[in-house]
Amino acid sequence: MISGRLPPVSHLRINDLRISDRRINDPGKTIVVTGVGVVSPYGVGLECLQEGVLSGRCCLAPTTDVYPGFEGTTAQVCGLPHPENGAASRYSRSDRLAMVAARDAVANLNCESVAFRESGAGVFMASTVAGLSEIDPGIVEDPAAWYRQGGLLRAATYPAAHVADAVGEHLGIHGPRCAVSAACASSAMAIALAANMLLDGAAPMMLAGGSDALCPFTLSGFSSLQALAPDPCRPFDQNRKGLNLGEGAAVLVLETLAGAAERNADVLAVLRGWAMTNDAFHTTAPQQQGNGLADCMRVAMEMAEVSGDEIGYVNAHGTGTPLNDIAEASAYETVFRGRSRPVPVSSTKSYFGHCLGAAGALEAAITITAVRCGALLPTLRLTDPIESPGVNWLRGEVRRESLPLAMSVSAGFGGSNTALIFGSGRGCS
Amino acid sequence: MTPNVAAISGIGSVSPYGPLAGLIPPCRLEPESITAWTTAGLRRAFLVKPFRPAGVVPGLKTRRLDRLAAWALVASSLAIQDAGIDLRQLDRSRVAVVFGTGLGCAELTEAFFQSAAANGWRGTDPSPFPEGLANAPASHVALWHGLRGPNITVGSKGFAGETALIQAASLLRHGQADLAIVLAGDTLTRSVYEWYEAAGLLSPACYNSEPLPEGGGFVPSEGVAALVLEPAGRREARGYAQFRSGQWAAGGRASAGREVETIRQMLDGSVPSVTICAGNGAPCAPSSVTALAREIGGPGAAIVPAQAVAAGLTDAGAPLHLILALSSRPRKGPALLLGTSGDGGFAALLLELP
Repeated sequence: MISGRLPPVSHLRINDLRISDRRINDPGKTIVVTGVGVVSPYGVGLECLQEGVLSGRCCLAPTTDVYPGFEGTTAQVCGLPHPENGAASRYSRSDRLAMVAARDAVANLNCESVAFRESGAGVFMASTVAGLSEIDPGIVEDPAAWYRQGGLLRAATYPAAHVADAVGEHLGIHGPRCAVSAACASSAMAIALAANMLLDGAAPMMLAGGSDALCPFTLSGFSSLQALAPDPCRPFDQNRKGLNLGEGAAVLVLETLAGAAERNADVLAVLRGWAMTNDAFHTTAPQQQGNGLADCMRVAMEMAEVSGDEIGYVNAHGTGTPLNDIAEASAYETVFRGRSRPVPVSSTKSYFGHCLGAAGALEAAITITAVRCGALLPTLRLTDPIESPGVNWLRGEVRRESLPLAMSVSAGFGGSNTALIFGSGRGCS
Repeated sequence: MTPNVAAISGIGSVSPYGPLAGLIPPCRLEPESITAWTTAGLRRAFLVKPFRPAGVVPGLKTRRLDRLAAWALVASSLAIQDAGIDLRQLDRSRVAVVFGTGLGCAELTEAFFQSAAANGWRGTDPSPFPEGLANAPASHVALWHGLRGPNITVGSKGFAGETALIQAASLLRHGQADLAIVLAGDTLTRSVYEWYEAAGLLSPACYNSEPLPEGGGFVPSEGVAALVLEPAGRREARGYAQFRSGQWAAGGRASAGREVETIRQMLDGSVPSVTICAGNGAPCAPSSVTALAREIGGPGAAIVPAQAVAAGLTDAGAPLHLILALSSRPRKGPALLLGTSGDGGFAALLLELP
């Protein structure tokens, strides 16, 4: 539990932005978000995502076309552009989602300029699927024949690092490139590690996020684990039956406040704190009291130097599986015990499903939207919430209130947890 | 750049040399014939000989795990043992695991595809699915040792091993961990080997029993190397090397050639007494990395050439390159672990050898 009041804050006005942040005294160590690119089932762009979630529109729909015999509920991205002629087989669907999101993220930069291309900007991307969407079971029967029949380039997209390379090549930037795999916490972790790299001076700017495509491999895998809900998921509801898979990508442009000020950039949000922990409990099940997740949130709050009372909204991992949601609720009870009022929490996976390696970055984008717009998003279809007196399970209508700080929480198979705390930037017009 | 904070205080490995704690006794290895699957004629690789993990680390249960996860468990245990660390005495929420891999758990990923081939996507076997995730090895290391700090699996074309070291040092520097277990490795499977073959990347030594030739492709390898990284200064810590800083960049730049300038900036005026070349599997890498090493160190620079066993690990070979170089008792002083991707990409880690 983080407690105690903060001393008076200082205010600094930079580029139409008012940031209340004691660490502003060192702009070289303050990490800000200056671009957000999104591809979601709502379409391309943060505005599409923002409009979709603020209007409460659910993208989850019955699906039967992913593989023969599959019947379930997913959220898919429609109309994803194909690469130029000849390049199609070089990129997986996850690559393409990432490339479109990255291009969207840098839309406000002069990304064709030599200065941008020679800037040494880095890429830190996450994907759990990566090129698995391009591989079929034929590969294991006779790999050499499968490669001869056109599989060679498709298989080259298999490593998660290929997604980072695709983004770097697409934008023509050549700083450090890296991929992170931490299952469903991957892209939140990519953002955290990219922030570390900026503090290390490893690059002047980092594009960080995640991308994952729907594919038979993951749908079949989660189905075999009996983790999928047949209908649209109901996170944190007593009657939840599992998760739905979605697809998408989100990429944040991160840089130091000093760097952003130098190029007179608009600052969308401040990444105030971040943390990563592991449950060290089980490969697929979360620790039931959510201890690892609670530790993660506490460490992020310590880094941000904020108390539990100051977190105005938590965008939860909230998958809708029986075990995850109970563990997560326990973690919130632990971390926010002693708060003057229950902490507002919702799961936006109820809008467009669980996008796996892209989930953390998409939810970071939604959390940034929440702080910019002062909008607390409800969980859809939440009629009978898990009993948790320390938590205000948001449901019904979008609630509007000033939101200086919000937290995005991610967890994944293998016990990985990541928490990101975003501070408000310029208000939403 | 990540400034110096870290000492390498423990080493463990599961490699074609076998499971070992500490340095690897010098001995020349030749590739072995592949027998795990039917090949079209002689095919060779550097292979990890089968061993019983519980025979090395009592109590380990690895039956359902990908070999990569099993080797990560063994290598991490050997490195911790070598470092002389009693994890029970540490706050294990402050111990990180950072794993670098090019291909992750390829074996169980193939097993999942195999179950789909046999039964259709509706009838897949659930057990290989979560164990086939790339982060499964790092997760098992955390689970076995009770490590609740950051648990990170990274990949980077050509530089997964270097990246793992740089990220681990960064965690220590930012106070996000007090100790890090750094691992890097990959396994060889039929579809991986045949992909290298179809892509024309293999050395002629993969197809005949001749000794290894210079250049001209690589011989695939497998294994996991583990290093214990901790803040420099623990009195009783074994000091294999100190990690001072690291930098890497992707290839394909219009202004390729800047790597020399960037590395010199990182060296901050010092000249490495030895450069350890980390070949990454690309056919042209050994020559390009040696040329870069000469350019940075000057004509008299001591160069430890890329070792074929580690080069065959492609993206994840750097820690094994480092262990093999340390095993050869190189000169004391500043050392550079240097890898190139053949298209202008590079990774450079500045170390101090005691």
